[in-house]
Amino acid sequence: MKRPLRLRLALRDLAVGFAFAAMAMSGQLPVWVLGVFIGALVLALCDVRLVARFSRLSALGLLVAAVLLGLQLTAGAMNAVVAACAFASLIAAQRMLSTPDAAAEGQTHLTGLLMVAGGAALSGDMTYALCLIAFGVLASLALALGVVEAAVPDGEPVPVRAVLRPLSVGVMFAVAGAVAFFVLFPRLNWAMVGPRSAPGFGAVSSAGYSNTVRLGGAGTIKGNPRVVLRATLTPDPGREALDAYWVGRTYDTFDGMEWTNVVGAQQTERQITLRPASDTLLHQRIELLPAYGARTLIALETPSRLGNAMAHTPTGTRNSPVQLQGGGEVRFTVTAPSYTYEAYSLPPDAKKGMSDGLVQAERDQLLALPEHLDARVAQLAAQVLQGEKEPLAAARKLATFLQRDYGYTLEQAGTPEDPLAEFLFVRKAGHCEHFATALTLMLRTQGIGARLATGFYGGARMDGGYLVRAGDAHAWTHVLVPGRGFVTVDATPPSNRTSQGSVLLEKVLALYEAVESRWRNSVVDYSFRDQFELASALVRPPRRAPGAPANEGPSRLPPPRAWVTAAVVAFVIWRAGRFVSRWTGRAPVLEATRFLDRVDTALQKAHVPRFEHETLEDLTTRLAREGHPLALALTPLTRRYLEARFGGRALREGEAEHLLATLRRALDAEASRRAVKPAGQAGPTARAS
Amino acid sequence: MTQPARVLGPVPSPASARAVMERLAAQLGRAVQGKPEEVRRVVTCVVAGGHLLLEDMPGVGKTTLAEALARACALSFARIQFTADLLPADILGAQVFHAQTATFSFRPGPLFRQLVLADELNRAPPRTQSALLEGMAQGQVSLDGQTHALPSPFTVVATQNPVDFSGTYPLPDSQLDRFLVRLSLGHPAPDVEARLLTTRGAASPLPSVEAVTGPEELASLREFTQDVKLDATVADYVVRLARATREHGDLERGASTRAVLALGSAARAQALWEGRDFVTPGDVRAMMVPCWAHRVLLRSAVQGVSARDEAAHLVEEIARKVAAPR
Repeated sequence: MKRPLRLRLALRDLAVGFAFAAMAMSGQLPVWVLGVFIGALVLALCDVRLVARFSRLSALGLLVAAVLLGLQLTAGAMNAVVAACAFASLIAAQRMLSTPDAAAEGQTHLTGLLMVAGGAALSGDMTYALCLIAFGVLASLALALGVVEAAVPDGEPVPVRAVLRPLSVGVMFAVAGAVAFFVLFPRLNWAMVGPRSAPGFGAVSSAGYSNTVRLGGAGTIKGNPRVVLRATLTPDPGREALDAYWVGRTYDTFDGMEWTNVVGAQQTERQITLRPASDTLLHQRIELLPAYGARTLIALETPSRLGNAMAHTPTGTRNSPVQLQGGGEVRFTVTAPSYTYEAYSLPPDAKKGMSDGLVQAERDQLLALPEHLDARVAQLAAQVLQGEKEPLAAARKLATFLQRDYGYTLEQAGTPEDPLAEFLFVRKAGHCEHFATALTLMLRTQGIGARLATGFYGGARMDGGYLVRAGDAHAWTHVLVPGRGFVTVDATPPSNRTSQGSVLLEKVLALYEAVESRWRNSVVDYSFRDQFELASALVRPPRRAPGAPANEGPSRLPPPRAWVTAAVVAFVIWRAGRFVSRWTGRAPVLEATRFLDRVDTALQKAHVPRFEHETLEDLTTRLAREGHPLALALTPLTRRYLEARFGGRALREGEAEHLLATLRRALDAEASRRAVKPAGQAGPTARAS
Repeated sequence: MTQPARVLGPVPSPASARAVMERLAAQLGRAVQGKPEEVRRVVTCVVAGGHLLLEDMPGVGKTTLAEALARACALSFARIQFTADLLPADILGAQVFHAQTATFSFRPGPLFRQLVLADELNRAPPRTQSALLEGMAQGQVSLDGQTHALPSPFTVVATQNPVDFSGTYPLPDSQLDRFLVRLSLGHPAPDVEARLLTTRGAASPLPSVEAVTGPEELASLREFTQDVKLDATVADYVVRLARATREHGDLERGASTRAVLALGSAARAQALWEGRDFVTPGDVRAMMVPCWAHRVLLRSAVQGVSARDEAAHLVEEIARKVAAPR
């Protein structure tokens, strides 16, 4: 067997690698599968076909893996799609590392396709699309090279360069054609069929806004640079970084471990008013990105009104009613990867003299302490406050104390019995939730009403708006000040309030998010309605601005846009026509070749014995030498073909048909002559090879 | 008329060219019986304007063939027996002093003939061989600072013995490359040999060879051959064949550019056999072994007849493998 082309194998392995990446991007594959596949890919790219000699052993290994995956599946530890994807990757790894024969080739490409399909089931991200395109391009090149390689005789070099260039151009055309098809033709998104995990690097359900506050566990979220929220503020503060609190919900009940809420009144409306509006409201237009992963609406402190919510689902954009829940939380009623809505917030100084609007039960809850609260908490609070009774001053005093004497850390090993006591008296270090809980409870022990608020802190300037990252997630304290309502006091050291990720990574991620948002809007969520709008926008006149002078009577001519579009289309058709005519410009040669093809077909049908690589010219010469009766018919035909092909004397109109008719008659005569002869003397009829 | 009328007889056509070649082949066939293919190759080579290398055992009719060619074409002829002591001056000629007039004058050597038979070329020292080389390549001879044009048409038919190597100077590759075609006649078939015995005995067949063309017609035929159309795809085919020889694993050196050009002109002459004024891939393939087998260098160390056969085999294999234009 001849040695396969190294380049082709590398292309094939890379294609499979991208197919795997399409799945791996979802972050749902088990780590060991990831390790096995990447190892196999590296070995395959280094041309180490490890399993070639132990094919049976590796097949056994696959069996074991299948059993393992099956067990995990039945135990409910793994989703069926993930298990199937993992198994496909293992097969691909095994196939890549085995002897590259024809069967292994086909199976490798097949597993690549399976993995791409698996990737589609697991994620619908831009990264998936890139992996899909890379797989398509590389696999096409590898397959086409395989075809060429098979056509080249043993021992001869494969014309890789000559082949790859037109192939690449062809593949590029195919990709461009696919994009054009996507844009121009009505389409169905199979994401409509079923829900899909939110896009992004890995599972994002824990990346954004969490629904509970539970002390203990590491605060890994602070290092997550993914953008969860984009907001445009009116009036625009114009600052580079916003030192503002974006509140999602508040908690009033702490059981020593976890914060919860006394469920208040629930109402579902198009718009929720939390507080009466004032004269100066801060308007926010907010976009929640898929990385957010929750349904809670976020607004700058202190929100007054939330509404006009739109859910952006794969099937299109629609209005979503919002629902008021306990703790001042407002939620979308529709689940979607991303949302937009509007919010109005009161400026920080606009709350003076405003009633807090709390019922007595809620007011009592603001002083509730967990059952087994460590007695030292109250002692410590009293010791710090030294008789300070004014709520705001007391809160600030405690906050200063906490900021000064306690360290900030995201490391929280183990699950302590009493996380608050652990923070205050043992570790003396914690993250925002510890600081906020400590401050809230210390205030409560001193009879000052307070609650925990969660949301985000900060906001980085981007394109005239602000963006907030998952790492900006934060918790702080609301202190009830008589006559002023709730006032925000933050016990966390100021430098540790915002995202703790690396700056470079944040920048790269911001760029990625921007591209991905565009991708999501114009590709993933690109619907039939968008297509229709695009088409109509091309031909419809722009809407007349209100107040512009009305035209005198409706014009019967199409609008200028229609003319421009028609001109562009005409230009494209003209160019395409030129391109095609340049190809058909070689007609004389091609015509002779087509003629030759027809002659070849006729000869093949008549079972005229022919050697491999024997041209018509050779055949005719040989038959003439042998005195074969067909030579008489073939000689003028061959001569005419040669003249047309190499002598510059093209076939005349109908000449090819005439010559072919003559040939067919001769072939028929020859066939009947042979039929008359006894079978044993029929001469060689088998196709020589 | 912008085109000057040809001086030499009627304007040749493919058909007339073919007729001349057929006539020539018929005459040569009288001298060398039972070798129609080889005879046609010789005619093709001469019409293409190339030099011919005959590689054979003694006594198979090499010399007879050359002489018959000279007769059939009515060319002036000289036979030079190459020996170890042959000097350049022996073939080129020398300045001779005339005592009476006290002047030197050039006395042309045997090379100044239209057809020169260089018998056992590899027996002469390289210096003498290379003197012949210049004549073959340039159609002229430089002697004592003077250039003397060789007669036209000028053709060298060289012979060498491929078996007996003792006391020989193998032809350098550059010189081998100057020969358009290399042929070996081989022993005639038994029936031909028997017929020779019964009909002719020891008598020379040469007197029966008649002149069927002249130097002028041969020259115009050569000119016409140059005009035979070679399509771009066929040219590309020749180049692909050459590249295949260059990339072949068993060949140290493939066909040179000169070899490509040589194959082109040989294929043009070959096309005339069919009365065509254009070259087909079949013409190229037909001339590939005679044109290229002696120009490629094998990697293996075999010499002599087996090297010749192996080279021919490899070139044939390449001709089979490289796809002809359709």
